[in-house]
Amino acid sequence: MKARERTSEMYSVSRSKLSIISSTLGVLLSICSALIAQDSHSIHPTFPFLDKNNRNVLSSGQAVSTMNSCGACHDTGYIESHSFHVDLGLREFGKSGKTKGGRPWDLSPGLFGKWSPNIYRTLAPKDEQQIDLGTADWVRIFGARHVGGGPAVRSRDGQRLTSLEISAADSETLSRNPETDELEAWDWQKSGLVEMNCFLCHLSNPNNEARITELQSGNFELGNTATLLGTGLVEKKEEGWRWNSTAFDQSGNVKSDFLTPQNPDDNNCGLCHGLTSVDRETPLVTNGCEPGYWSTETTGQIISPQRLMDSGVNLAGKKDLSRSWDIHSERLLECVDCHFSVNNPIYYQESEASRPAHLKFDARRMDLKDYLIRPSHQFAKGRASQAAGLNATIGSCESCHEATAIHDWLPYKERHFNALSCESCHIPKLHAPARQVYDWTVVTPEGKPRLECRGIEGEPGSSRALITGFEPVLLPRREVDGGTRLAPYNLITSWYWVHGETPRPVRLQDLQDIYLDEENYHQEVIALLDTNSDRTLSDDELVLNTAGKSDVIKKRLEALGLQNVRIMGEIEPFGIHHNVTHGDWALKECTACHSDESRVNRPFILSDHHPKGVEPRFVWANDIVLNGKIEEHGQGALVYKPASRSGSLFILGHDRIPWLHWAGFSSFILVMIGIVVHGGVRVVMARRNRPNHVSVKRVYMYTAYERFWHWLQALAIIALILTGLVIHSPLTFKFLDFESAVSIHNIVGFILLANAFLAAFYHIAGGQIQQYLPEPKGFFSQAIQQTIFYMRGIFKSEAHPFEKNPQKKLNPLQKITYLMILNVLLPVQVLSGIVIWGAQRWPSLTANLGGLPVLIPLHSLAAWLFAAFLIVHIYLTTTGHTPTSNIKAMIVGWDEVVLHKQNRSSK
Amino acid sequence: MQDFKYSWLVTIALVLTAVIVPLLYFLPEREAITDDPWAGMPQHLPHTDHSALMKGPFADGPSVTRACLECHQKSAEEVLQSVHWTWESPPVEIAGRPQPVILGKKFAVNNFCIGIGSNWPACTSCHAGYGWTDGTFDFSKSENIDCLVCHDNSSLYVKTKGGYPADGVDLLAAAKSVGQPTRANCGGCHFRGGGGNAVKHGDLDESLYYPVDRVDVHMGKHDFLCTDCHQTQHHDIKGRAISVSLDDANQVYCTDCHSESLHADERITAHVQTVACQTCHIPEGAIKEATKMHWDWSAAGQDRAEDPHTYLKKKGEFVYEKGFAPEYFWYNGLADHYVLGDKIIAKEVTFINRPRGSIEDLDSKIWPFKVHRGKQVYDKKYHYLLQPKTYGEGGYWSEFDWDIALRLGSDAVDLPYSGEYDFTSTEMFWPTTPMVQAAGKALQCIDCHGKTGNGRFDWQALGYEGDPMYRGGRQTVSNVKTAEVK
Repeated sequence: MKARERTSEMYSVSRSKLSIISSTLGVLLSICSALIAQDSHSIHPTFPFLDKNNRNVLSSGQAVSTMNSCGACHDTGYIESHSFHVDLGLREFGKSGKTKGGRPWDLSPGLFGKWSPNIYRTLAPKDEQQIDLGTADWVRIFGARHVGGGPAVRSRDGQRLTSLEISAADSETLSRNPETDELEAWDWQKSGLVEMNCFLCHLSNPNNEARITELQSGNFELGNTATLLGTGLVEKKEEGWRWNSTAFDQSGNVKSDFLTPQNPDDNNCGLCHGLTSVDRETPLVTNGCEPGYWSTETTGQIISPQRLMDSGVNLAGKKDLSRSWDIHSERLLECVDCHFSVNNPIYYQESEASRPAHLKFDARRMDLKDYLIRPSHQFAKGRASQAAGLNATIGSCESCHEATAIHDWLPYKERHFNALSCESCHIPKLHAPARQVYDWTVVTPEGKPRLECRGIEGEPGSSRALITGFEPVLLPRREVDGGTRLAPYNLITSWYWVHGETPRPVRLQDLQDIYLDEENYHQEVIALLDTNSDRTLSDDELVLNTAGKSDVIKKRLEALGLQNVRIMGEIEPFGIHHNVTHGDWALKECTACHSDESRVNRPFILSDHHPKGVEPRFVWANDIVLNGKIEEHGQGALVYKPASRSGSLFILGHDRIPWLHWAGFSSFILVMIGIVVHGGVRVVMARRNRPNHVSVKRVYMYTAYERFWHWLQALAIIALILTGLVIHSPLTFKFLDFESAVSIHNIVGFILLANAFLAAFYHIAGGQIQQYLPEPKGFFSQAIQQTIFYMRGIFKSEAHPFEKNPQKKLNPLQKITYLMILNVLLPVQVLSGIVIWGAQRWPSLTANLGGLPVLIPLHSLAAWLFAAFLIVHIYLTTTGHTPTSNIKAMIVGWDEVVLHKQNRSSK
Repeated sequence: MQDFKYSWLVTIALVLTAVIVPLLYFLPEREAITDDPWAGMPQHLPHTDHSALMKGPFADGPSVTRACLECHQKSAEEVLQSVHWTWESPPVEIAGRPQPVILGKKFAVNNFCIGIGSNWPACTSCHAGYGWTDGTFDFSKSENIDCLVCHDNSSLYVKTKGGYPADGVDLLAAAKSVGQPTRANCGGCHFRGGGGNAVKHGDLDESLYYPVDRVDVHMGKHDFLCTDCHQTQHHDIKGRAISVSLDDANQVYCTDCHSESLHADERITAHVQTVACQTCHIPEGAIKEATKMHWDWSAAGQDRAEDPHTYLKKKGEFVYEKGFAPEYFWYNGLADHYVLGDKIIAKEVTFINRPRGSIEDLDSKIWPFKVHRGKQVYDKKYHYLLQPKTYGEGGYWSEFDWDIALRLGSDAVDLPYSGEYDFTSTEMFWPTTPMVQAAGKALQCIDCHGKTGNGRFDWQALGYEGDPMYRGGRQTVSNVKTAEVK
């Protein structure tokens, strides 16, 4: 109603007024749209750059202070104290229990204190006598992967580094002079501090190289200013950094053309984390196995929407690889869409603990203004070992995906979901190389370790090498919901020399000293390792693969005064959660896991070479169930062979108990041999002894229902044995695919069960049951009599000791056999089958009965017995009046029964 | 029962039933194949070898036709009805126009060579007939049908002005070779629309004679003929083009062979109601041969350096582009046509055949188009586009005098010419349909959507509030608009 009134009012306005209004509106609109068009990428207001003393940098000429400049509006103190990216373990530094599962010399779970075999250098604790790395050197080396603030501003006990008393003996105020290898005092006042660098993540074009260059040169305070190189705001001249006054407006604010803060995009994150490209058109390239990006090197993960076939990477089978590097990136998700700020009101969710059960969504949200002032820079994450306090803030794939809604094709959905993480199938392969080994027992002429790479053929450092990619190893991971699921990992093995009672890696400088004289190897080293005597060391020769070689190097290290020198090996698992692909490319083949070549415990190469007698230990693997074995393969290579049979996991088609398998199989073969021998003797003897003339009588032996029951049972058991073979070993028996075999096996199992019930009813109700009950009196002597017949009389064409008639169809041996088969074997088989089938419906019932690891082998054993019975049974049908008369009888119901003498006379 | 001889058969039947029935009932259904595109393919029956049947000698085209018609009498009647012969559409009622409109190649105006009126001999070299050299051509005379242009399989048959066979063509050899139309038969005219290879369509050019997979998945990878999609019954060839057709009857659709629900991906399926198949599966046009995107007639007549791809004195300035990114519009299969004599506003762009459709029109989808932009001659006084005579005596291409050319042309199409002319901008729309790419080369989300998207779509021009990924699609837009109105 209201709207209509307003419309009619509008019409009453005179035409001239209208035209004035419309033209004014038009002008306003065009101004607005011009403004919007100009600033469409950012609504961030302009602001001044302030230095550390809160003066405008234009007047002071000093380096910009992000804490002061951005801090004029945003609470940078809050942000700095709510960011693991800033802290990197400083808060947890040296605290007991924080490095659980880590190396003896790890001091925190973050980059500040956690040793990395990639960079090798060891940060020294405060009281360390032999210091490898002090805080200042840590900033110079690790600053490339640190956003500033935290350990680059504050000491381990929370003081500003500039306020520390300078001492060349304190790891926080010293530096090692690379020229002299001497420890010298570090003047933090002079170098300044590395403030938290807002530009690195919030500009579209930060200059990371310029930043790293300044940090490496020790000009810490200039790092953030250098990040702006290329924006036009600042230039580097010979005399130092100069601000460009034309980039600032009259009030001293940075003009928006020069600086437009933004939400971090994938390339910002990629600066430190890994290879990213949001550009679909420009072919993405990697530099062999030296990508220079952290996560790409450790795991092979590349974040890009580009199709693999459109990339510039020299991929094996590339022309058919129409999948993208990462489906989430393809579907336009950015890093921060999942790794969001934990107090971002868009994503914020109250914890389950305090949320009333009836409330699905609490609509009360933090004001956006308050968020922008104090945005937490703790980002939601999965469960990498760093920043453990934030573990599982993303939750998991299920936080966004309803997996049960779409996996209809997958039989035993819940069981699969309980045993497998989504990543196991949706990251079937990494199409990039990844690090396999850092071997610091030797050094290259450049002072680097010997490297091994997986997923690449040819020269690892070359972009022409063929990238074959690799299938990650699946390891059982303890998850937030208490379950243990298989999840994909890369394993990086590192070998290095340590010394001392509490071990420390041998310092890089010492290592280089014993191997190298300037850039050439010492003659003694060449003599030791040069196996083809060409007086140079090739890549293949540079390896300590014998105890003798290790001993010589050990002696050289001891000669430097090091005590208790030894080689240590470690394996660090790196979880793989990106490079996800959608259903078309996910692992869907049942036999990928359900077969002898199951991925679940496929050996994963750890190291092509390994120092003799050194077993690597897992580090930072707290979430992983390490139930596998490290084994030696081929010439010196080490592999990790995960155990598939862990907990309640028992993978059909792959897992079996070998002795039971062979026992079943050999009993079957023995029975076969027995039958062939017995049958052969019968044939030979039958030729010698012409059969005595016997009189036979046609008797209606089997009723129609009995025959129906028998043949249905026969068909069902044969179908079950055949499909069971496929399920047992799908790669050996390929006449049916695994999935169909399982379905048919289940259905036929129930047919068998129904048939058995109806037959039981028939036999009990009709009193036929007594045919199966051996008479207790004289049973043993009768059984022996029957046995003797099978061993002797049958060859002489003697008559069966017991006459067969419709009231007494079974001889004593048959009675006891069928009693066992129908009352023991069949129930065992059917019941175990039902519980295996029902493992998804009644998991606790299955578990209480021993779980699949007990039930499946039991079921297999019983199946062997059935198979053995089956052939004996078929063989014995040939012992009737003629070889086929018994089978005929079961088909048509009429049997030709040999009349025994006493009966003959009585007739 | 006991003596029933075949009781064992009954037993077997019962046993099998007892197993098979539960199996059939309980076996989980495998994903059914929803798409069997091959079912839509026509059967190519072997063609009768005519080498012994066509005796000759043949003095001219019509004598070959007469020989054909001896056996194929009905074919003549069929062809006389077909647009390849009449170059004329059936009359169609169009809202806002007093009388049903007849269009077709015979009457249509475009912004390439403008129109055929007064220029017959040049244009009709692609007519499926012999001798259409002026306005008096007899469309009922079946011996003037050119059977060979479509059925010659010798690849030696060439037509020239007025549709006559070129000098030196061996008519007997051509007649003996006749068979079903090949790519060469269709391509001879359609790949050279606009007077040369690749000029006009942007999705039809000579790269389709022997196309690689990358050019067209149907004709390349699967080795299709034109007639596999443009299926033909009784000489009525399936297909419509909004450059000449007024209706969309007898159109070829992807869904003739493909199911609309063939994408396993729900996200893609959700696009199908809004986005034409072509939009994603034809990411670029003119893949191998550059096509004409712009033609400025006003620059003609100058004595400048000539290059067939940039400037010709006869025709003016051109811009050619290879691998062009299509422009996207709502399109329901029909277009608003400019009909000769319609008034124009000379300062504004005149649309020759603007596709119909909008975000509110639920029959329309977003389609990819080649847009050909031109500057062509119009009458300054009467405010309509003019038909110049370009070819032949007095034509612009020989005299370089627009006034004479327009007088002669206007006479031929019976449209008054005031004597004052100028040039105005026009746009012509060509939906792209061949040059289809397989899924692996189709567009991806990022091509249209997202903050850093490649910006193929102007969402607001299409009627959206912005990227529908963030702001909701068609349904949301109409909801928001409805709310505003209330």
